[in-house]
Amino acid sequence: MSVTVARDVTEAVKVPRALFLPWPMGHHFGVPFHLDLQRRVILAALMLLEESAEPGTIRDLPIKWADVRREAKSMLTIQGQRL
Amino acid sequence: MTAADKTPVPAAEPREAGTQLRPGLWQTINERYPGSMIRKESFVSQASLSKPLAEARLTLISSCGVHCKTDPPLDVCHPFGDFRFKRVPSSSKQRELIIHQLKYPHDDADLDLNVIFPIERLQELHLERRIGSLTPNFFSFIGYNMDPERFERTVAADIADAVVQQEHADCALLAPA
Amino acid sequence: MSVPYLREAAAHDDLDKLVRFVRLHLGDGNEAVGQDEIDRSWAQATKILLRYEPVDREFISSVLEKEESTLALLFYHLHFYLIRKSGRWIHDGSR
Repeated sequence: MSVTVARDVTEAVKVPRALFLPWPMGHHFGVPFHLDLQRRVILAALMLLEESAEPGTIRDLPIKWADVRREAKSMLTIQGQRL
Repeated sequence: MTAADKTPVPAAEPREAGTQLRPGLWQTINERYPGSMIRKESFVSQASLSKPLAEARLTLISSCGVHCKTDPPLDVCHPFGDFRFKRVPSSSKQRELIIHQLKYPHDDADLDLNVIFPIERLQELHLERRIGSLTPNFFSFIGYNMDPERFERTVAADIADAVVQQEHADCALLAPA
Repeated sequence: MSVPYLREAAAHDDLDKLVRFVRLHLGDGNEAVGQDEIDRSWAQATKILLRYEPVDREFISSVLEKEESTLALLFYHLHFYLIRKSGRWIHDGSR
């Protein structure tokens, strides 16, 4: 199964199953050091592997990029680092 | 009708709306580089997992261009792309790996490789027995390529053969960069 | 621009299409940036030569004996080498 940030490209390629994330290129598993989020993406993809039956299934992981950035910012603030 | 009613509702910003951040990407790239984008006519039939994930062997395949620091990098300068791939031992530590790619932003992945090549998260899930095992090697190549037909015949076929015949994977996580 | 598209352009010596592709590749999808990068790499080579440092002409002669596909690819490598040397690196998402 694939993770994708470009639903239209994945639709054109017709992969058997994919998890779509509305995130930027190069950030398919989230943001640096956000272990929980990285894990969540992988587990959602693995779940799709076990559950999807129809070829071309594209499932959404509805986490907005704005929320990811906000979370990343607060994590860095908690760690006392500068963005 | 009030003035406010006439004000067009702005299209939701993708970051806030949760939609694809770069809409129409296939079309945009194919207009810029005619014929470079793949469009398949039919679906590959879906193979189902023959055993529970906790017993299955998983591999990771990514176009992110990561490789072992001890390996020479792939060719990012070639105008049509590099038709080779790299094996990345699945037991690798992040500090042993490096991304060599020009065509996508990897400044965040340089801080934490797991944002594009989640090798450490997969190692953890294996230790927790959520995943049965990892193939000895994972796979990486350069996503930029101007010859999809040749790419499919060479890189894609060679990785698929290696995944099945050498690594004996039951399933694969694909991470396009 | 796929390889079949470029082969057709090459067969017709369609310089516009070929040059546009080169600029897009060197500019990571932005033709204007690619043009600027080409100018910069030549300017950088010229800047380096202005230092009048010793050069290894024997090496150059031996390199030029290589097959032309290797040399053509070397040309692309030298372009990126000079861009790095110019200190203005816009590729791979570096901030």
